Amino acid sequence: MDVFGSFALVLAFVCAVYAFAGGIAAIITRHPLLIKSTRQAGIATCSLIFLATFSLEYLFFSDNFSIAYVVSHSNRDLSTFYKIAALWSGQEGSLLFWSFLLSIYVFSVLIAYRNKNGELMPYVGVVMAGVQIFFLTLNNFVASPFKALAVPGADGVMNYVARADGNGLTPLLQYPEMVIHPPNLYSGYTGFTIPFAFALGALLARYPGEKWIHLTRKWTMIAWTFQTMGILLGAHWAYAVLGWGGYWGWDPVENASLLPWLTGTAFLHSVMMQEKRGMMKVWNVWLVFSTFLLCILGTFLTRSGVVSSVHAFAQSSIGNWFVGFLGLILLVCLGAYIKNRDYLKSENQLDSVVSRESSFLFNNLLLLVACIAVLSGTLFPVFSEWITGDRISVGAPFFNKVNIPIGLLLLFLTGVGPLLAWRKTSTESLKRNFGWPLLVGLIVGAVVFALGFREFYSLVCFVLCMFVAATIVLEFYRGGRVLRARSGASFAACVIDLTMRNTRRYGGYIVHVGMVFVFIGLAGAAFNRDVQKDMQIGQTMQIGPYTLVLQTMDTKPEKNYTAHRMVVEVLRDNKPLMVLYPEKRRFSTSKEENGTMVAIYSTLKEDLYVVYAGQSPETQMPVIHAYLNPLVKWIWFGGVVVVFGTLVALLPNRRAVLVLAGAPQPAGQPLPHGLTPSVTLREGHD
Amino acid sequence: MTRVRSLTLVAVLAVFATAPLLLAPVGAQQLSDRAKQIGGKFMCMCGCSQVLTQCNHVGCSTSAAMLKELSQSLATGSSEDAITQMFVQEFGTKVYAEPPKSGFSLIAWMMPSVYLIVGAGLVVFVIFRWRKVGERPAVAPASTPGISAEMLSRGRAQAARDTED
Repeated sequence: MDVFGSFALVLAFVCAVYAFAGGIAAIITRHPLLIKSTRQAGIATCSLIFLATFSLEYLFFSDNFSIAYVVSHSNRDLSTFYKIAALWSGQEGSLLFWSFLLSIYVFSVLIAYRNKNGELMPYVGVVMAGVQIFFLTLNNFVASPFKALAVPGADGVMNYVARADGNGLTPLLQYPEMVIHPPNLYSGYTGFTIPFAFALGALLARYPGEKWIHLTRKWTMIAWTFQTMGILLGAHWAYAVLGWGGYWGWDPVENASLLPWLTGTAFLHSVMMQEKRGMMKVWNVWLVFSTFLLCILGTFLTRSGVVSSVHAFAQSSIGNWFVGFLGLILLVCLGAYIKNRDYLKSENQLDSVVSRESSFLFNNLLLLVACIAVLSGTLFPVFSEWITGDRISVGAPFFNKVNIPIGLLLLFLTGVGPLLAWRKTSTESLKRNFGWPLLVGLIVGAVVFALGFREFYSLVCFVLCMFVAATIVLEFYRGGRVLRARSGASFAACVIDLTMRNTRRYGGYIVHVGMVFVFIGLAGAAFNRDVQKDMQIGQTMQIGPYTLVLQTMDTKPEKNYTAHRMVVEVLRDNKPLMVLYPEKRRFSTSKEENGTMVAIYSTLKEDLYVVYAGQSPETQMPVIHAYLNPLVKWIWFGGVVVVFGTLVALLPNRRAVLVLAGAPQPAGQPLPHGLTPSVTLREGHD
Repeated sequence: MTRVRSLTLVAVLAVFATAPLLLAPVGAQQLSDRAKQIGGKFMCMCGCSQVLTQCNHVGCSTSAAMLKELSQSLATGSSEDAITQMFVQEFGTKVYAEPPKSGFSLIAWMMPSVYLIVGAGLVVFVIFRWRKVGERPAVAPASTPGISAEMLSRGRAQAARDTED
């Protein structure tokens, strides 16, 4: 099966080269058969990568310990669930997994548009094939997952061998979220290849109009959703497994995943400017380019060892390949832009400073500043070492100080932006849309302040969250009220109908609600508390309203590890509440590395987070580290709402939003294009 | 606004409003001790890229040793500066959790503000430039008494685009 997998990968590489070179020839010659054959080659490439990936999984499931990668990342006792995850647990397998996910996207695009957009698709196909060639080069010639296990013999000659059992999967990865977090994150990274291919293809083809924007929007949203889920699942994994009481440590690898998310978010907003007003064409193309470049940069950071991170793969020379690829893409993008920049001429005009357009510009500014600040902070240790010879660390305190104010400004714009009208917003509209939400926000702020909260950023965050929530709730309320007056249906049915009539707009609002929940959760971090104590059996410790009693310690043997558990009874206000089992896991395959399993009692109000922190070297007693983390659950719930909102936004509208016939004719106010409108453009709400 | 709808609206807003109130009974945050406060200014040197007081990898001997060293220094009356010097001498400048606000490291602190100021300046410039274009008098179709079918179609398409999202 290893030979089959290797052969499939080589063949996939050949097909990808044909799809790339033949695609260029097809663009030049416009020969229909050549166009068709390169598309088929693209489909064949994807199919062969699927086969290679399934072969590697088969090697894991069949415990084939003659393959070096299987030996390094699996063992006989590893459960089936984690044998799936073993595929992406190391450098070679994760690169194959990258190719696999990319192939799913490429395959879908090639099939979905096989009879559409004939002028554009050959260009898109060439770009996608180019990216596939790079990863297949790594899969075949740099980091093949199908290498046979070989050890040097007495004569120095390498001999192929097969081991009886493997080294097992890294304990930190033996957690359910590690089976779903990397696929989500990788699906985000790889998914941004599609908007990149369309943007570069449209620029190279000088494809007329904004159609490429319409085509890529949903692909961008799909990639963005996966990236969001990947980031949140990673945060939850860090929270539940690493046992340091937090979910985001501004680790370089975490930062790397955030960078394309920030530019992708900026693109999803600014793309509306191009769709509706024909503005910001250059900006949008470069946002798509930057998002893809940041995906590759993030992969480089994770795999090159240039920045130290607990998440990173082992240091290797593979980083040079990524640097080369980054440079090549940048050159191609720059070349395409310089050659065809006149194609991106925008219809830039603005009627008023107070308009949706301005809010989008500031939204993009803040997202970009956050992105560059995170990027420069992440790379600062490297630059400082190059320039001064001293490596200066940049940790969580720096990133928090820099990004919290930016995040709050973004939250403010989340409330303001959607309620500003395109072109111009009148003072009357501002009062109507923002009066109540502002009042509600300020009242909540005053109440919270009166209750004794003095954490500045958290206080501001709560006020803004309330303001944003109120603006969105009012939007649903107003729309629902109008529909109810017309149809007489129930208010809830009208709100659902309203959402389904304009899924993009109301789905977007739901995403914003989700972000409000996330921000509420983040604001709670200012009130985290923790206590650490050496405990004897029967001893108690107090944290907030909870009393923890160490009842006993026990050992629970499992197939692949032995769990050493604390049995901790939790009392709230001296009444028994529940029993928690924080544990340490000792894996049979790992002598040095152990796993931990945090016990969490989670409510909307707070998380009681209990860690078995090992044995005290002085007293030899077990140590409990307990945290009281307020509002954490809101973050995970917010993530679910964000994903739900994005899915709603991806749905097609149920029916047309406006019926224009019979609309009143306004007195001769010409539109900027010299048109006299047949309907009055509704101010606000759009 | 009917009573039911008003109550629904208030209930939804109350969901958001209760979030900060949930924190109220907890009371004041437990103050961290001095070691915790100073420890938050250094990185754990085990390679985890986490702040010293936040590294809790099972079996992380590095953070345990560093925290012990920190506690002992505090017990002997060492100042924060002296402890900082001690860690910098032992581990180098990479022990800082955030770059010092002096020398070359000052650049790290200045850059985000520079990005924001330059970016905001650019955005304001762009907005005013676009506004100038928008203020140019549109060529009114003065000689056209009615609306041609093409104009009507374009106007409708424009209106639909403007009100879609």
